[in-house]
Amino acid sequence: MRSSLRFFAMRLAGALSAVLGASIISFVVLRAVPSDPARLILGPHADADQVRALSRSLGLAQSLPEQYWHYISAFVQGDWGYSFTAGASVRSIILSRAGATVELALISFAWAFSAAVVLALLVTYRSRPLLDRIARGVAFAGLGLPQFWLGLLLLLVFSHTLGVFPGPEGRISPSINPPASVSGLYTIDTLLALQPATFFDALWHLALPSFCLSFFSFGFLFRLLRSSLLEMGREPFLLVVRGKGMSRWAAFSRHALPNSFLPTLTASALVFADLLGGSVLVETVFDWPGLGQFVVQSIQRLDYSVVQAFILLSAVAYVVVNLVIDGLYGILDPRIRLGRAQ
Amino acid sequence: MVGRGDRWDHRAMSGALPDAPQRPGSQEPRDEARAPRVGDGRGRAWPRRLLRTDRQIAAALSILGALVIMAVLGPTLWRHSPTATYLADSLAAPSTAHPMGTDSNGRDIFARFIRGAGISISAGATVVFVGALLGGALGLVAGLARGIVDSVAMRVMDALLAFPALILAMAITIGLGVGIVSACAGLVLSTIPWYARLIRSEVLRVSQLPFIEAARAVGAAPGRIARRHVVPHVMPTLLVQAAGAFGYSIVALAALGFIGVGAQIPTPEWGAMITDGLPYTLTGQWWISVCPGLGLMLLVVAANLLADRVRDVLDPRGGYAR
Amino acid sequence: MTASTRVEDARCERPDLGPVLAVDGLQTHFVTKRGTVEAVRGVGFALDPGERLAIVGESGSGKSALALSILGLIEPPGKVVAGTVRLAGQNIEHLPDRAMQRIRGRRIALIYQDAMQALDPVKTIGSQLGEALRLHGGALSRKAARRRAIELLREVEVPKAAQRVDSYPHEYSGGMRQRVVIAMALANEPDVLIADEPTTALDVTTQAQVLGLLDRLVAERRTAVILITHNLALVAEFCDTIAVMYAGRLVEQTSTERLFAAPQHPYAQALLAAMLRSDRLETGPLPSIPGSPPDLVALPTGCAFRARCHVGRSLADCAAIDPPLAAVREEGRVACHHPSEART
Repeated sequence: MRSSLRFFAMRLAGALSAVLGASIISFVVLRAVPSDPARLILGPHADADQVRALSRSLGLAQSLPEQYWHYISAFVQGDWGYSFTAGASVRSIILSRAGATVELALISFAWAFSAAVVLALLVTYRSRPLLDRIARGVAFAGLGLPQFWLGLLLLLVFSHTLGVFPGPEGRISPSINPPASVSGLYTIDTLLALQPATFFDALWHLALPSFCLSFFSFGFLFRLLRSSLLEMGREPFLLVVRGKGMSRWAAFSRHALPNSFLPTLTASALVFADLLGGSVLVETVFDWPGLGQFVVQSIQRLDYSVVQAFILLSAVAYVVVNLVIDGLYGILDPRIRLGRAQ
Repeated sequence: MVGRGDRWDHRAMSGALPDAPQRPGSQEPRDEARAPRVGDGRGRAWPRRLLRTDRQIAAALSILGALVIMAVLGPTLWRHSPTATYLADSLAAPSTAHPMGTDSNGRDIFARFIRGAGISISAGATVVFVGALLGGALGLVAGLARGIVDSVAMRVMDALLAFPALILAMAITIGLGVGIVSACAGLVLSTIPWYARLIRSEVLRVSQLPFIEAARAVGAAPGRIARRHVVPHVMPTLLVQAAGAFGYSIVALAALGFIGVGAQIPTPEWGAMITDGLPYTLTGQWWISVCPGLGLMLLVVAANLLADRVRDVLDPRGGYAR
Repeated sequence: MTASTRVEDARCERPDLGPVLAVDGLQTHFVTKRGTVEAVRGVGFALDPGERLAIVGESGSGKSALALSILGLIEPPGKVVAGTVRLAGQNIEHLPDRAMQRIRGRRIALIYQDAMQALDPVKTIGSQLGEALRLHGGALSRKAARRRAIELLREVEVPKAAQRVDSYPHEYSGGMRQRVVIAMALANEPDVLIADEPTTALDVTTQAQVLGLLDRLVAERRTAVILITHNLALVAEFCDTIAVMYAGRLVEQTSTERLFAAPQHPYAQALLAAMLRSDRLETGPLPSIPGSPPDLVALPTGCAFRARCHVGRSLADCAAIDPPLAAVREEGRVACHHPSEART
């Protein structure tokens, strides 16, 4: 018990130091390196008074450690800056747009994960050479294809040419009113509001962008699961379990699958990182009104206040995800949880 | 106990006869029929034999070779300039005069495509080379020096790894000032921790091997041990990682160009070209974005195919970190 | 037919029932890229209740494939292509997997060769033992299965069984894990126990302990045992009968005493000669068997051992005909045209 507590305490300390380091890096990169951070943040179109005002509020006249303290305490207090092009505080923009990004990422993850698990099971449980070849080809393509270009192709084929999916018009048809916001996720909010037509419209709009965003994660998860399941298939304990009189399927699902999820779990932090980075690209292509799209729009308008907040927030989110995954791993794998007890 | 048992007990058959049930194809992804073994190809003939027996490497190398040749010779052979604008000729569909059409300013897409190949390949190679060199050196020093140097270096690496790689590259690019050189620097800095962590752990592993202990015992100087024994042992690992990072660097560079922090129009960089064509794609002028994307896909798939094989050949233990 | 050397023993009360397991003409092939590997080439033997048979041979002689063939656990690309496996008279060779599931673990159980790898690393010892019980125990509740698991751990002499039942495999030592594997195999009181190299992964002291335990448990239960090993010393202490396997076939089968006293097949002789004996320690280097086992994809005609045999290497009949396993006098069977001639 004490050893598992120490395990989690160590992980927590590691995560905290990583966040601290990340905040220093983002401070150095965005505040210390640029010659005039206020000008960088505001862009070339802001007038001199605005730049001077921001310089003062950022404390740019102070020493670097003081500036860092200023930067980090403002961030922790939720003061993430003000976007002049959007005319709103960065925090309110991020909060209002997070729902769209989270929904897209969740649906993409669901696609990628379920497809990877089902296909990996199909090609490893019995020999299916043709399906295996196809799935491996798709997975390989998923790892290499530039997502922003794939999205474009999807739009071109399925929306522009075939007309079966909507074009880049956001989360819902322009003629339909969005549901009352409860969770920020349209698929959930429409169900809560009992609006099935809107629900299906939202799903229909999610189809192409989520497929596009899931492509890399699918490839990654499929390759990993497939190889660890094949590895598992050679594990003697499966033979022993079969020798006990367990059916092939039960041995596979109760012993091989849980064991091969463990390496996949560790690697899913990478999936999260890709979903976060990929959302920046895919949302732009599909005009998806999420965080990523806004970040790109701000970059193009040379308004970096949003970008700065997004960068540090994504580091915090990434570290938290890693921490959660480590924790889950510790809970699921007794060798880690109890490893140091002996 | 059977005396000398081991001499005849683990002979030839142990590999051929499955003691435990095996499924066909269970050797994947290191399939014996396709993966060339390092051992059986010693001597000069092996690169040629490799090409003949391994279609995957052959395909990857021929795509890469074709793109490199195009990038080198193309600009002098092709009559159009990649940046000259002919507004009268804007948004022209692919034809014999413009095999990939023209963009909104009447620039010839094919000329831009050719130049873009050169930019992607050279920038990708530079990013990988510099990143592997710096990251490898850092990992080597940290692993050999241990102590305070090691822990400081690794804390910095941890901090860099706290960001999703692409977002860190974006941040660094913005801090240094938008442009393709900053984008390359951002990619280098965001990939350095991959190499450094990997090489450090390899160095720690190799340092414990008996032959290094032996070299130390006979009094070989630390510098000599590092040069003669440690470096050659961690080189394959570094190469595998670098090969894997090549495809990533190319896509990431294009992605940075696409979101507007990398190369800027009119630089004929594939990612920036895709952004440039975005508004026209669904109004009928698909070629502006689709053509550079096609090149990007070919290049990255070839690079990844090559990386997969490099890993199979050099690293029997599998997996490059990312 | 094997005559059990312990027929007169008190624990053999029902000799009239015939062999509990009878294997006949069993052939198992594996289809590989190089060709068909003939792993098991027509193996037959019978096992009486309570009898202990050793199958001895080199790695790759087909011992493990034989064990898996009996259990019906050969998976593609492998296949049992011919032969019968009779369990108490009933042929189980062509039974569907569902029916085999009721036999595996309950009537024929397996002890796997490497205890380090024989247990699922992420499940507790208790749950894995309980699983063995519940698979055949009808509606055995989890609680009851756990109680029974603790009893089983006590029986295999795992200390502090009541606490250790909730531990994970990595918290057990190798010897303790092997005890768990034995407990798991004996959980449902099987008629036949197939022990595939049960002690190879253990150090010598632990080997002796585990084997002693196994000896006691199977004696109490009158379980018939097939002990698969390359370790002749193990066989000498534990088994009644020895079958020597070479290149997928049994080449000699006889009682333990006879084999050690007068091996008939040149291969069996070579095996014994290569065995380390304390009475010969000072007499120079140990003899080893020249050459290596034949390629099971492209077997030569005639006797498979011919190339390594100092009797039949150049004999015409050995080159032409693969000798069948035939009775030699009353003591056993041997597959050789010139049994016992090599002995000098």
